[in-house]
Amino acid sequence: MLKKTITILILVTLFALSAGMVSAQTIELEFWHAMSGGRTAAVQKIVDGFNAEHPNINVTAQFTGSYAETLTQGISAVRSGNPPHIIQVYEVGTQTMLDSEAIVPVYEIAEGKIDFGSVIQPILNYYSIDGKLYSMPFNSSTAMLYYNKDAFEAAGIKEAPDTWADIEKMGMQIIDSGAANHGLSFGWPAWILEQMHAYHNQPYANNNNGRSGRATEVYLNRDFAKMVLSSWTDMVEKGVIAYGGREYSANQDFLAGEVAMLIQSTSSLSSIMETADFEVGTTFLPRFEGYGIGNSVIGGASLWVMQGHSDQEYAAVVEFFDYLSSTDVTIQWHKDTGYFPATNAAVKTLMDNRWFSDNPNYLTAFLQVLSGVQSPAANGVLLGNFVEIRDIVDTAVEEAFTGVSSAEEALNKADSQADKVLQDYTELFDN
Amino acid sequence: MNSKFAKKYRYLAYLLIAPSITIVTLFLIYPSLESLYLSFFRSTPFGNRQMYVGFENFQRLLTSPAYWNSLIRSIVFTAVTVFISIASALILAVVTNKKIRGAKIYKSLLIWPFAFSFAFSGIIWGVLMHPNVGLMSYYIQLITTLEFNWINNGTAAFTLIIIASSWRMLGYNFIFFIAALQNVSPTLLEAADIDGASPFTKFWRITFPLISPITFFLLIMNTLQVFFLTFGVVDVLTQGGPARATDIVTYKLFRDAFLSMRTGYASAQSIILFVFVAVITVIQFKYAGEKVFYQ
Repeated sequence: MLKKTITILILVTLFALSAGMVSAQTIELEFWHAMSGGRTAAVQKIVDGFNAEHPNINVTAQFTGSYAETLTQGISAVRSGNPPHIIQVYEVGTQTMLDSEAIVPVYEIAEGKIDFGSVIQPILNYYSIDGKLYSMPFNSSTAMLYYNKDAFEAAGIKEAPDTWADIEKMGMQIIDSGAANHGLSFGWPAWILEQMHAYHNQPYANNNNGRSGRATEVYLNRDFAKMVLSSWTDMVEKGVIAYGGREYSANQDFLAGEVAMLIQSTSSLSSIMETADFEVGTTFLPRFEGYGIGNSVIGGASLWVMQGHSDQEYAAVVEFFDYLSSTDVTIQWHKDTGYFPATNAAVKTLMDNRWFSDNPNYLTAFLQVLSGVQSPAANGVLLGNFVEIRDIVDTAVEEAFTGVSSAEEALNKADSQADKVLQDYTELFDN
Repeated sequence: MNSKFAKKYRYLAYLLIAPSITIVTLFLIYPSLESLYLSFFRSTPFGNRQMYVGFENFQRLLTSPAYWNSLIRSIVFTAVTVFISIASALILAVVTNKKIRGAKIYKSLLIWPFAFSFAFSGIIWGVLMHPNVGLMSYYIQLITTLEFNWINNGTAAFTLIIIASSWRMLGYNFIFFIAALQNVSPTLLEAADIDGASPFTKFWRITFPLISPITFFLLIMNTLQVFFLTFGVVDVLTQGGPARATDIVTYKLFRDAFLSMRTGYASAQSIILFVFVAVITVIQFKYAGEKVFYQ
């Protein structure tokens, strides 16, 4: 008898609980991201904070592997008709997402609800087409120059380099004095070449850098690209530049004191500051004298909203984005990861709290992107199948650096390969 | 076989193989057909735009210098790796098969590399041979004054993936050779001893022919494994670089399929690889059956 009563009680309780859950109408949002390592926890912290503030919405953050893996899984999910609400996609996937016919542009659902005027201009412009924001900026970075102050001092160099001529001169001084074996190394070679284009206000592709229409031609065979790669190759031959691999492996060369300077994404700042056993200085990217002034390009990733969900769920997504762009969350994200604080209000608060004056290296890249101009060339290029074109350009840089072919030959080859990729891509949209 | 028994349990037999058939159909046959279909198309990553291109993907592949570079590098890489791993495993097996002190310890140690995946082997060698902070590259430079920088030297990178892959295959080959050597009849060797044969002659004239079926088997298995499974080594170490020096076919396929997301082009590559496997497998079935005998 007692047993029966207990069973009934349990059943009734369960029923009541489930009924309670239904009546509360929790909106479930799925958020797929590619933030590995310590950044997974930083994302979780944001999501937990949001869920605690919004009892009727439950965001589930799911780590889905690297950027490429996350995108692949997103595509499978779309194809099988079951996409998540939000997917984080790297900047080179931007054109792919724009052409996917599977997204809801952020401006459509967030219009009048989030004031994007507060988002830092270069970041806003990177993810906007015709002034309309298509995806929510999330983790934005750019490239800057890191240098080993101890090695500079040992080589008797007082100031930081401004130009590539300085890099060469100081690099030689560093090598001659024995302060390091080489002058400079960098990661993401193709991205740095893109950076150089934007930084000197030179377009990388036609159709306004792919921003007024799909780009059909890259400008790798133009004089500017050739000048950049030849000067780099020249410095490789002199031992000033030591090629350090495609992504982050050059960081290790810098940290081990093999090179005294490093051009790398700002997203490496926190880890470099923590690991270096020397004083780290940071400064703007070096320029080539006599070329235009542009801006450094935004890298990183943004959040895309996928089709196939209810209006109510989209309203919840907007709530989540609003929370993301709130000052406290932006600051927390910046401090946890080193990515840019993306809003003006967050920057003001950080400044008021003396964050930048206590940590000047966190300010460098920020001043760099803010002090540049805004133009299609300076805002960075959009390309169809950008991932493949990056790979083609990486290969060209490696061919020049390893002496497989001259800088000019390598770029001519890369140019025709990249144009073919773009042609294949645009043909798909012609009919 | 008792025909009554066969008749009675005919349906049971079908039932028993049904799970395997289902799995093979679902995960092998269906995807292969799908690949074949996709190889005639060009599509956007999301598949929302697609156009029929006939044999364009195949034609481009076979006329692409990048693909030929990749194929030739894969073949050279496979041949060298298979040779090194089989030859060194055989030498080590012969040496440790002698009655020496601690033979068991050596044997266990030599089998270990097989317990690791190719990717893991890549990580180990990447750390050891890192141009600036690697212990082994430091000593190599100290002794030979040669800089082994696989990050900016294609030949060094190619050598490194051969070393990492050969090392990983060593244990596998070693086990088979040890087993084979223990099956070589001691009476034959004793007879040769009485006739005054040198150790080298004994090995070359008696041992080597007797273990040749195993060597052949290993040759086939190694070729398949090195050609198709070394993706991990390349992915963790070089990603096909620098300047495509280590761009083996499986890595290129992965890059085109999952990074560049050119489904059609990648499917065409997988069809070509499928033909490759088929050829190697046919060779294996044809010759291995004739030559391997079980004592």
